[in-house]
Amino acid sequence: MSSHREAPAISKDPVADNTDTYAFVSPDDPSTVTIITNYLPFEAPFGGPNFFEFADDVQYDINIDQTGDGKPDIVYRFKFTSTVADRNTFLYNTGPIDSIDSPSWNRKQFYSLERIVHGSATSLGENLPCPPCNIGPASTPDYPALAAQAIQSLPGGRTVFAGQRAEGFYIDLGAIFDLGDLRPFQSLHIATMMSNAPGVNTTNNFSVHSIALQVPKTDLTIGGTAPTDPGARNSVVGIWASASRRKSLIHEADGSKSQTGPYVQISRLGNPLFNEVINPMVEKNRWNALTPADDSQFLKYVKHPELAGLLPVLYPGVFPELGALDKARTPRADLVAILLTGLPSGIIPGFQNYTGSTYADELRLNLAIPPSSSPSIYGLLGGDLSGYPNGRRVADDVTAIELRAIAGVTYALVDKSYTPDAAANQVTDGTTPADLTEPYLDVFPYLGVPRSGYETGALASV
Amino acid sequence: MSELTRRRFVRDSAGAAAGLTALGALGVARADARETAEHPGTEPIVAHVKDPSSGEIAVLHGEHETIIHDRGLAARIARAAR
Repeated sequence: MSSHREAPAISKDPVADNTDTYAFVSPDDPSTVTIITNYLPFEAPFGGPNFFEFADDVQYDINIDQTGDGKPDIVYRFKFTSTVADRNTFLYNTGPIDSIDSPSWNRKQFYSLERIVHGSATSLGENLPCPPCNIGPASTPDYPALAAQAIQSLPGGRTVFAGQRAEGFYIDLGAIFDLGDLRPFQSLHIATMMSNAPGVNTTNNFSVHSIALQVPKTDLTIGGTAPTDPGARNSVVGIWASASRRKSLIHEADGSKSQTGPYVQISRLGNPLFNEVINPMVEKNRWNALTPADDSQFLKYVKHPELAGLLPVLYPGVFPELGALDKARTPRADLVAILLTGLPSGIIPGFQNYTGSTYADELRLNLAIPPSSSPSIYGLLGGDLSGYPNGRRVADDVTAIELRAIAGVTYALVDKSYTPDAAANQVTDGTTPADLTEPYLDVFPYLGVPRSGYETGALASV
Repeated sequence: MSELTRRRFVRDSAGAAAGLTALGALGVARADARETAEHPGTEPIVAHVKDPSSGEIAVLHGEHETIIHDRGLAARIARAAR
């Protein structure tokens, strides 16, 4: 979760495994949009001597759909190259790394960035540096300053960062994957005899590799305008990330690899949890290879989500209304709107992020809605129009939002006669941003400073 | 050895190592002098016989895929694979 190891194939290819994608109007510069997409789930900070890095043979894309057809109109493409300064040592670094070009850092990584509009590419940067991983006080003595050197200003008012960050997605994976045994409500769970307990943020202290891009709103819209009318169709863009590998890979007898052929997509991510909990296991690899334009094939799983049928079974007597809704095979038009088309005007006062009738899993961001001065981690469900599912901010509690939506809270938006179960609006795994050791940043790239291996110790005990 | 002295030892050692590998250090600043971590070698041309009966072969080259239909070639490759 939200898309960590979410499909059988990509779970075996972590460098291409897109774990979270965020898109939001930048709170400290509302003329811009920040898009962050993470890879490499569950990086243990002490994972050396070959510390984590992006893959040189993976193509990382951020895709923008301006027209609502589920196809990318703009692609920001990142390609990485790793270098080795001293081929006679096994060490990642031969001394303290006190600057991003330190000769003590043996294995560096650089990247190029292109902006591709309908197939026509423009280079935005070459040889852009990544920071090293945070190793410890002997190797990376001032990591925040070191990582900040990798924040690069690009032409056109764009800013980019690619490198290690603290995992910002908080969730109690241990409980959720134990048959949905949410600790705050586990006394009600069919299989447990335990009393209720606080949630445990199981991703805390892990790191990820983030690609963060901040661009003017005008970079994303048709005609290069800065939207001001939340009700206008052109105020909304669809956003998702994807990763691709070459079609053919040959492992040579000397340990080297040969690759050839076009890039083919193996991972994608728009809405959190879509492939994780909406699609059945046997569809997940195929879904990862498709574009959002193909998502009508998965409409049936959104209309009738498996989890909506499981909640009344796992928590007997807690979700009678949801159980009746599911038993009647009522199509979940609310979830279809949230995940596949966007919410049209008239559902929530002052809000829409509708992109048209094409069913496509994308983060839909209404660029005309300014950042909230008092954000709610529950986004739209918390009365905050600038949060998920209007794009996604780093602190949004997408686990609770989606659990509550699936539990029936949002069905009342499309059927006024439906009264959600009292429990539906309280469902949570019990974790919040307060459970993160490393807090979010108020400025780009917003995700926190990754923990070093030296200071983290055994993850289970911290 | 005090903590400070030990730190200085590592730093000085690193400086010496950097001096011995001047070309590698230069590579940090000059992209054209860098040595990439992986030696990519030449990209092979791969022929994927997708359907021997129709002779459909996908030829992978560079970042491209070209589909050809050649029953004779597909048959010869199939015979070689036996």
